[in-house]
Amino acid sequence: MNYLKHKWEECRAVAFVTYKEWSAYRTHSLVSVFVGPVYFIVQYFIWTAVYGDSGSLAGMELTQMIRYFGVSALIGYLTMDFADWNLQMLVRTGKFLTFMLRPVHHRFFALSQKIGHRILGFFFEFLPCLLIFHFLFRINIVPARMLWTILSVMLAFLMNFYVNYCIGMTAFYLVQAGGVRAVYQLISQIFSGALIPLSFFPETVQWIMTFLPFQYTNYIPAMVWIGNKSIGQMGFTIPQAVMHQTIAVLIVMVFSEVLYRASVKKFTAVGA
Amino acid sequence: MMSHVKIYLTCLRTSFSQAAAYRADFLMSNLITLLSNILFPLATILIYTNGAEFTGWSMWEVLLIQSVFSMSSGVATMVCSSILWVTMDHVRQGSFETVLLKPISPLFFILSAHFDTSGIGLFAGGLTLTIISSVHVGVVAFGNVVQFLILFLAGLIVLCGLDLVMAAISFRWVGNSRIPEIFDSMKEFGKYPLVIFPKGVRIVASFVIPVAMVGFFPASALLGKIGAWTFLSVIPCVLFLIFGVWIYNRMIKLYEGVGG
Amino acid sequence: MVIIKVVNLVKSYTTYKRGSGFKETVKSFFRRTPVPVRAVDDISFEIEKGSICGILGPNGAGKSTTIKMLCGALYPTSGSVKVMDYSPARDRAKYVRKIGAVFGQKSQLIWDIPPIDSFAMNKAIYGISNEDYEQRLKEMVRMFDVEEVIHKPTRVLSLGERMKCEFIMAMLHKPEIVFLDEPTIGLDVIAKTKIREVINEMNRQGTTFILTTHDLEDVEQLAEHVIIINHGKKVFDDNLSKLKSTLGNKKIVNLMLAKPYEGDSIAGALVIRRNNELDISLEVDLEKQNITDFMKTLTNHVDFKDISVKELPMDMIITRIYNE
Repeated sequence: MNYLKHKWEECRAVAFVTYKEWSAYRTHSLVSVFVGPVYFIVQYFIWTAVYGDSGSLAGMELTQMIRYFGVSALIGYLTMDFADWNLQMLVRTGKFLTFMLRPVHHRFFALSQKIGHRILGFFFEFLPCLLIFHFLFRINIVPARMLWTILSVMLAFLMNFYVNYCIGMTAFYLVQAGGVRAVYQLISQIFSGALIPLSFFPETVQWIMTFLPFQYTNYIPAMVWIGNKSIGQMGFTIPQAVMHQTIAVLIVMVFSEVLYRASVKKFTAVGA
Repeated sequence: MMSHVKIYLTCLRTSFSQAAAYRADFLMSNLITLLSNILFPLATILIYTNGAEFTGWSMWEVLLIQSVFSMSSGVATMVCSSILWVTMDHVRQGSFETVLLKPISPLFFILSAHFDTSGIGLFAGGLTLTIISSVHVGVVAFGNVVQFLILFLAGLIVLCGLDLVMAAISFRWVGNSRIPEIFDSMKEFGKYPLVIFPKGVRIVASFVIPVAMVGFFPASALLGKIGAWTFLSVIPCVLFLIFGVWIYNRMIKLYEGVGG
Repeated sequence: MVIIKVVNLVKSYTTYKRGSGFKETVKSFFRRTPVPVRAVDDISFEIEKGSICGILGPNGAGKSTTIKMLCGALYPTSGSVKVMDYSPARDRAKYVRKIGAVFGQKSQLIWDIPPIDSFAMNKAIYGISNEDYEQRLKEMVRMFDVEEVIHKPTRVLSLGERMKCEFIMAMLHKPEIVFLDEPTIGLDVIAKTKIREVINEMNRQGTTFILTTHDLEDVEQLAEHVIIINHGKKVFDDNLSKLKSTLGNKKIVNLMLAKPYEGDSIAGALVIRRNNELDISLEVDLEKQNITDFMKTLTNHVDFKDISVKELPMDMIITRIYNE
């Protein structure tokens, strides 16, 4: 119990400090308030043109598609992450050492940082864009199943974090770890669902994606949010989709733990 | 004028020898920008393979717009995108004075000293896709190619103007590393057939911030889909560049006024 | 009482030769040439509780590697380290609560916010109680005289002010032992003096300090116990007065002469180096003559345009010790 209380205090302190640290740049988030709606407008007209008279494309109707893109952007603001960049920087500059000298698990520290950073994102990116989408663009953005949506977005938050943290840990092994990051981001851009709903891809690609982390960071939560009856190639219901997401997160968590232990062992062996 | 050409060529040579010194980095970064930019037409391909379309446009015609767009962005990255990030960096670090101390115009100095080789991959990717799409679309008349080149040049002028406007913003919005995102989002309107947008957007994208000139208009010229009136929109492109230069220089004046 | 006991400590690792050209880079991508490095080579020593121990040596001598092993951030290749009752690297999770560490260039402070906020974060990490935190903070802030500084964003602080805050950050949880890696590097004289003062005061209150440095002055003003490391080997391990008697009290005087001087000594000081016929260095033995007398004789003997007086540089100290 005392342990949990301490962890809570620690998380709160780190999150608060991060919040404060990034508050200085909160006007920068206004860029999102401009850029988000602009991309959304573009998508809106693209899809309105593409649908034309056809009622449904790749299993989605036009209104669903438009909601999908709005929601996908909003999920991006809630789950955005730079743990990969941050960890690579710490390893490259040797500053990771300062975490070895303090009684703190760096991954927990980084997760707390992300929480603080995203609370800021919630107020300065997510909320303004939500309001613009809902009241200015008149898109019905309210989740169909509120609790499942919150759960799914939280899982996406964790998924993004743990995967990015793993990418960051490559810096312990590679000199040019920046390349790994760029390649991952590239693939993620395409297969997370932010570019286009995954149902547009060929069946085999969709099937492979079930076993990769990408769709669990954006596509699945977006589909849960808009309340689609049948999600993904296997036609999951909402609870099934969230369950799969949970399993995926657990697997990545275990993987990141294994990698973390190996990395710390390597760090303490050669001082990286 | 001749001395300016000489300065530019000398700086160009330095940029290339720098790139040569870090060949591995150079190849890597080019490969990644190339991949990420030739993959974005993927959405278009998926739309068409799922049986939908932009009315009146075949898949290869839309891809042509997007590959011309990549080519244009590639050239702009090499030639003028340095204005934005160099200005941003200098303003953030409070070191813009070093630019002002040079005995040539600040704008010209930045342009020539920072030729960005990372645009090469993007340009090459765009060019390849343009050729492939053109082949699929069918015979392209010589006259169309000439028209294309004129409009392509106008597109570069627009990108350069946009870079200048964004750089001017960075004088005011110090340290905001996300300004380039605004730049990218504005360009978005040039990637698709302009007809899909409502009239208001079309007018803005053709005459006010003429981003349609970056991909849509030159590609349409190649396809022979434009009328003579399109060349009228070269005028707003030039005006936009003039506006960019004016506002950028004005910001420099204000910066000097404030002093370091 | 012995608080740190190091026996036959060895740290070796393999680095890889990295080619510079493109071909080399690609080649090294597939097959790399291993280069074994023995950073710490069979070192043993003991440090007393409540002392200040200076680990000296030139850059790349193995000081940092040694101190990292003492902190638990590096596993020894062989040999043993015992600090209090811990084996640092193995018991790291528990051990790091008991120690404090300041690694010169590797800041714990957060760049964009005031140090006071970073302190509060460490308070939570170490689980320091409110009363302890308040009292300790007040005390340390007073000692370093940084009442206002800690409320300004870290990025606007001078290097000296930042270093003082790094110290506070590392000592809020009242560590029994504090490790300092190059604590005064790059600081101005005033900041150096202040930091040394505080180290001495904390030491009087019972904290043990271990510091690495290549600045002889740090050792003179702080440490009674000196360990000198060169090429990974221990070359000296005794108290300061022993070091002083070994080296004598000597200064190096660099002169920029107005006209060439041919002799082997000036004003009783040996010419130890000649960069060119006008730029020479002298070694003055202060046990034979005091510096005032030397300067008087010097000005009478030669004309010079510029002069600077320095401590014996590290490389000379090591050569002297080897020659003993």
